[in-house]
Amino acid sequence: MWRSRKVLEAGAFMVPLVIVAALLQIAVGIGVVDSALVPSPWSIGQAIVRLSAPQPLLLSYLLTSLYRLLTGFIFGGFVGVALGVLLGSSTALRNALKPVLDFLISVPTICWVPLLLISVGVGDATVIIAVFLGCVFPVTYSAMNGVRSAREELVWGARSMGASSARVLRSVLLPAALPTVITGLRLAVGYSWRALIGAEMLAAAGSGIGYMIYAARAFYDVDVMFAGLVVIALAGLAMDYLVMGSVERRTVQRWGMVTKTW
Amino acid sequence: MSSSRGRIRRASPQWLIPLVVFLILWETVSQLGLVEPVLISSPSAAFRALADQANMRTNAGYSVLALHMLSSVGALALGLLLAAGTGVTLGILMGASGRVYRFLDPLLTVLMPIPGIAWAPLFMLWLGFGMPTIVATGAIAAFFPLAYNTAAGVRSIDPKLLMAARSMGTSQRDILWRVCVPGAAPSILTGLSLAFARGWRTVIAVEMISASLWGLGFMIMEGREYLRPDLIYGGIMVVGIVFLLLEWLVVRRLEEASVGKWGVTKPTESW
Repeated sequence: MWRSRKVLEAGAFMVPLVIVAALLQIAVGIGVVDSALVPSPWSIGQAIVRLSAPQPLLLSYLLTSLYRLLTGFIFGGFVGVALGVLLGSSTALRNALKPVLDFLISVPTICWVPLLLISVGVGDATVIIAVFLGCVFPVTYSAMNGVRSAREELVWGARSMGASSARVLRSVLLPAALPTVITGLRLAVGYSWRALIGAEMLAAAGSGIGYMIYAARAFYDVDVMFAGLVVIALAGLAMDYLVMGSVERRTVQRWGMVTKTW
Repeated sequence: MSSSRGRIRRASPQWLIPLVVFLILWETVSQLGLVEPVLISSPSAAFRALADQANMRTNAGYSVLALHMLSSVGALALGLLLAAGTGVTLGILMGASGRVYRFLDPLLTVLMPIPGIAWAPLFMLWLGFGMPTIVATGAIAAFFPLAYNTAAGVRSIDPKLLMAARSMGTSQRDILWRVCVPGAAPSILTGLSLAFARGWRTVIAVEMISASLWGLGFMIMEGREYLRPDLIYGGIMVVGIVFLLLEWLVVRRLEEASVGKWGVTKPTESW
């Protein structure tokens, strides 16, 4: 029963995409749209095949991008959560650092890339640091807000029953912060993803999906550009649904604090 | 007016002090030479670089820094205007008609995770270098949050309100302007402030890669060409400050003027 409904839902999701693709194919076919500017879905498909068949170029670009994303995101996530918990639990530290954080969070990540290009140079390290910078500040922010959202009575209660500071942190503050942290990490995947694509365009040195799109421009290769956009869209969707969706299910729902923000 | 200004003046030291302390620490570290100067430059060098840019004049006698700022802000404004026109219209259509929603929702869902900057090479091919590409890419980055949030806002309007309006013989146009738009306003504004942030980021990024001649992104990239970290840090400061100022001046004001006036409470921030 539920399986057939799922099939129906997937069908309803696919139908508009298929219709638009078909219309585009026809428009390019009869020459309404210039195929040098907008490729037909068929030639996008051919480009994807061409980039995968003798050598799995597309796959290796995608894996390189994902490796950079994951490395930067893991570092950024850890540092961000640690910093956020610290800022959330200490008022003095928060007062001292929040204005700086407020400023840093409003600086587009890509602005740091030219600086990294001077000091670190072109390559993986620059892209990974850019991804790190893209997610560390939002994660810090959400972890800080999460810790602060813990109800004070709970903290008092735990303290009055003789819990140590570490115990309060572990048993009260962290579980209370978790829904916000998870939401923050989820958003940070998006920020990291944006930072990754932008940084790859400026600093990738020959690999990665962002580099591929940017390099295709030099050859006026719209097929490859669109192939890249398709891969970016699919990877973005997959990340949002698979990775963060399941983390949220496993942790937040277990604690009975379901926060769906969308 | 005066009361809000007073509030700001009283509140300013609280957030200003840490920033000043931060700048002093930064200056000290770089004066003592603890860290490679190429890496961290120093605030005084950054301010000097900015002052140079501000004092430098074009042939027509305009300040170069002012033109960079104007170019970026202008591109953002044009992009937002385009995005708001198309995004809000589309969002209202999606909210009003289930059929339109079912058709467009998959398309938006698939296109939304594509970062604005990823469209830039394509637009460079279609529109050439410079302003048109910057505006178009900013617009597409701003379009999705606006369309999505508008649709969500219209769909969240209590159907009883629509039924009541209809049963009292309200015309379609009045339903649109008196029910749908005010009802969706908080959500549209959430979309707008998101669109504003994404648009700004994208404009700066495209200025960096599209070989334009003006804009703060270009200025920062120039700092890279000439190995001038002071100019890059100065650019980063200006980009952040302009963003915060615009957000405070425009987005907050707009919120106060519309949502505040209609007495609709803003839902909890949903990104």
